[in-house]
Amino acid sequence: MTILTFITGHFLLSCKRDDDKPQKPQLPSNDMEVITTMTLTFTDISGMQPLTTATFRDPDGDGGNPPTEFDTIFLQHNTTYNTSIVLLDETKIPADTISNEVFDESADHLFCFTTSGTDIEIVRTDTDGIYEVGLQSEWAVGLAGNGTVQVTLRHQPGIKDGTCAPGETDVEVSFKTVIQ
Amino acid sequence: MTGKFHVAFSIALGVLCNIALCQESHCHLKIDGTIRDLENNLPVSYVNISIEEVSRIVSSDSSGRYHFDNLCPGNYTLHYQRIGFVTGTLSITLNEDQTSDIEILFDPGLFKSVDIVAYKYEERTATIESSLIGKDLAATQGVSLGEGLKKITGITSLNTGSGISKPVIHGLHSNRILILNNGVRQEGQQWGSEHAPEIDPFIAGKLTVIKGASTVRYGADAIAGVILVEPKGFPKNPGITSEVNAVGMSNGLQGMVSAVAEGTSQKISGLSGRVQGTLKRSGNVSSPRYYLKNTGSEECNYSFSAAYSEKRIGIEIFYSQFNTRIGIFSASHIGNLTDLQRALTAEVPLEQAGFSYTIDKPYQMIEHELFKTEVNFHARENGRFSLVYARQYNLRNEYDKHKALNDSIASLNLPELHLEITTHTIDLTWEQKNRVPFQSQLGVTGMKQGNTYEGRFFIPNFLNEGIGAFGISKWQKDKLQVEAGARYELRHLQIYRYKQNALLMPEHIYNNLSGSVGATYKLNENLALTANAASAWRPPQASELYSNGLHHGAAAVEIGDEDLLPEKAWCFIGSLNYQGNQNSLEVSPYFNYIRDFINLTPQLPPTLTIRGAFPTFYYKQVNASFKGIDVSFSLSIFEYLQIKTRTSILRAVNETTHEYLIQMPADKYETTLEHKWKDRKHIRETFLSATLLYTNKQWRVPADSDFASPPQAYTLLSVNVSTQLHIGKQVIELGMTISNLLNTTYRDYMNRFRYYTDDMGRNISIRIKIPMVLYLPKTNESEHQKNQP
Repeated sequence: MTILTFITGHFLLSCKRDDDKPQKPQLPSNDMEVITTMTLTFTDISGMQPLTTATFRDPDGDGGNPPTEFDTIFLQHNTTYNTSIVLLDETKIPADTISNEVFDESADHLFCFTTSGTDIEIVRTDTDGIYEVGLQSEWAVGLAGNGTVQVTLRHQPGIKDGTCAPGETDVEVSFKTVIQ
Repeated sequence: MTGKFHVAFSIALGVLCNIALCQESHCHLKIDGTIRDLENNLPVSYVNISIEEVSRIVSSDSSGRYHFDNLCPGNYTLHYQRIGFVTGTLSITLNEDQTSDIEILFDPGLFKSVDIVAYKYEERTATIESSLIGKDLAATQGVSLGEGLKKITGITSLNTGSGISKPVIHGLHSNRILILNNGVRQEGQQWGSEHAPEIDPFIAGKLTVIKGASTVRYGADAIAGVILVEPKGFPKNPGITSEVNAVGMSNGLQGMVSAVAEGTSQKISGLSGRVQGTLKRSGNVSSPRYYLKNTGSEECNYSFSAAYSEKRIGIEIFYSQFNTRIGIFSASHIGNLTDLQRALTAEVPLEQAGFSYTIDKPYQMIEHELFKTEVNFHARENGRFSLVYARQYNLRNEYDKHKALNDSIASLNLPELHLEITTHTIDLTWEQKNRVPFQSQLGVTGMKQGNTYEGRFFIPNFLNEGIGAFGISKWQKDKLQVEAGARYELRHLQIYRYKQNALLMPEHIYNNLSGSVGATYKLNENLALTANAASAWRPPQASELYSNGLHHGAAAVEIGDEDLLPEKAWCFIGSLNYQGNQNSLEVSPYFNYIRDFINLTPQLPPTLTIRGAFPTFYYKQVNASFKGIDVSFSLSIFEYLQIKTRTSILRAVNETTHEYLIQMPADKYETTLEHKWKDRKHIRETFLSATLLYTNKQWRVPADSDFASPPQAYTLLSVNVSTQLHIGKQVIELGMTISNLLNTTYRDYMNRFRYYTDDMGRNISIRIKIPMVLYLPKTNESEHQKNQP
């Protein structure tokens, strides 16, 4: 009997729906989260060099139009920088600062840095209580040269072990890097 | 290529002739006769006459004649039926050749709607088709429609893990085949390769695949073939009966139960009804070495129908609803190419789990609703009108693995992909009655379809309208049947999409004339040759025109092209069909040439996203050819032992670039050894079979267009046992299937999850079917007697 009631109820509900009205399409929904922007801000610990930033910006998300901004990182040789990362969802007005959410869920996230052709030693300086996070890091720049630094955000819900291996990739941007 | 076919042909024929010569000498008796209309004494063609004891069926020819040979002495029960006539039974004790003429009573009151659907299909001539029915259909119980259809030679499947299976006919799938559910074109989001048909296989009393282009009869898109999902006819005798099916499976600890109750009214003559429902639940399935995390699924389906018929008018309504939630294997949801590379090189999937029924993100939630109403008007002397209206509503929600970081967005728990499509179809058909050598069918069809999306953009909102008109004429003389038809179809596609917040409304109009001609020549009662040539077309889909984004399942950016033209296909298919008493052979070569075949083609540069660069694929048009052969034959080695083999071979070539086409099924060879026990009083129809399936490695792939090379060839062994218990009047059917008996570790090229995991390990499935009589009114003997001549 319960099943019968369920079925009848279900049927009545279903038959009311009629969504074949594409003549009035809604604007693309605002309920989706898209990471559009990553900005790295470099502060010279000694205060000698001016503050610099490097940004990757793809305002319409994956596919569609190509990224509108993809900076090269310019750093001074033999300098140590404090680096902080900001992630934004600029499809929202005002933009949603996704990195704040990463901070709130830092036990599930880890930034990884891979350098290639550049003499930079990168150490994460923040922690989730047990493991490092990487929203804040210290970049010890050595000799001048050109190469890349790849910044990866790994999503590791419940499986974070301090290494980059577990989980899946939320962000992965390979910045051209010039050490002057 | 043709040389090889030739050799296979000759060998098969040779084997067959040898077997025919060796048949036991005392089983050469014949039953024949003529079937006539009781009212006017004219011969009646297309009466199906079956012999229950040997499971053989023939049809009466144009002069009403029927013929069985190679029968052993014994008692036989003949059933004869033809739509529009009263069904009857005849008992024969056969000691010598016998002629039994049958008189059959015309009865328009028997024009029940479902029967009429069957009637329409039985009129198909010169098509190459195969059906799953009875024991073979029962053996597929518990698996999805796509998996079940693989029992038919030439049919493979495109899988997304173990839970999502799409049928593939001769290498083509999705929008290139049509599924007719209860006579209605199934309309959902079938363009997606991870979108399985939204149909409960328990609805079907019969599954039929028509191979080759069938646009003329069924409308655009049917370039590769048509799948017919046909329910059983309503019971003829008053009363209420029911049937309960239960299936349990060891892999995934899957359980399902399906029940149907149906009845025919005694008070109101011609009124019948049916209610049916299925519940299904599965947990994480396992490969031979590990569980696959988040691969559970659940399903809840139901349908009901009612039919009323009187002398000239038949009315039927049908409603069905299909609801499912399918977990998507966690380790298959990857963030970018680096993740994919890691998954490809991993020995075991990067995410592990034990057994659980819980379905987590990522998952799909799908609902499909079909309402159909059919009215038939029977003009006694001339033919019949039929009007079918159907409405389908399809909802598809796909949830990504990753919930939003922003808590307020995450708390909404909205699907990342949300698609709703509603389709109205109307078909008006006129069928001429077939008592003359010419028989025709004329029809007009209309379709209106609206699609909306929310969440991530994948396909735009659209309104799709179509009209079509067709005519098919059949001519029959003695052993030859010829059928020719043509169809005109017009499609109007109105797109609504936003580009930088500005609404764009491009329109597309496609139209096409398609035609077909086919012939069947019956050399004798056992051997028939069929050939069919057809042109077909398919307008491009919204996804092919307007996709522009990252396909998360495929780790690729797919970009559509607004200027795509319709695909045009020319399909040639033939068959040699021998149906002997104990042996059978079907050889069916085919050639399908598709001009402007829409193909996802990789192209540089890759698309840069915040998650790295993804390979980019564009929908491009090429010319493509598909040639192949399906061969199946069965031989009786001893009286109760049969060997059956099935072979399907396909070569699919991109004729523009002279490369092979990607994602085409590899060659398959299957051999089954089946033993049937002698029927006893309480135990009947007992079969034991073992099947060895060899799937070759797909060597024929285009260079540099896939993330991983095709997996190795593999061989799977499976075993099937089934029987019927007869206890008093009660019948209980029991069956057990063990698939992948040896727990072989393998990956299949046509499974999109082959990048991430081994395929399913051993699975023991047990099924039981209990038919029951719920209510039987006091029988009116005289009424019943009338059916028995």
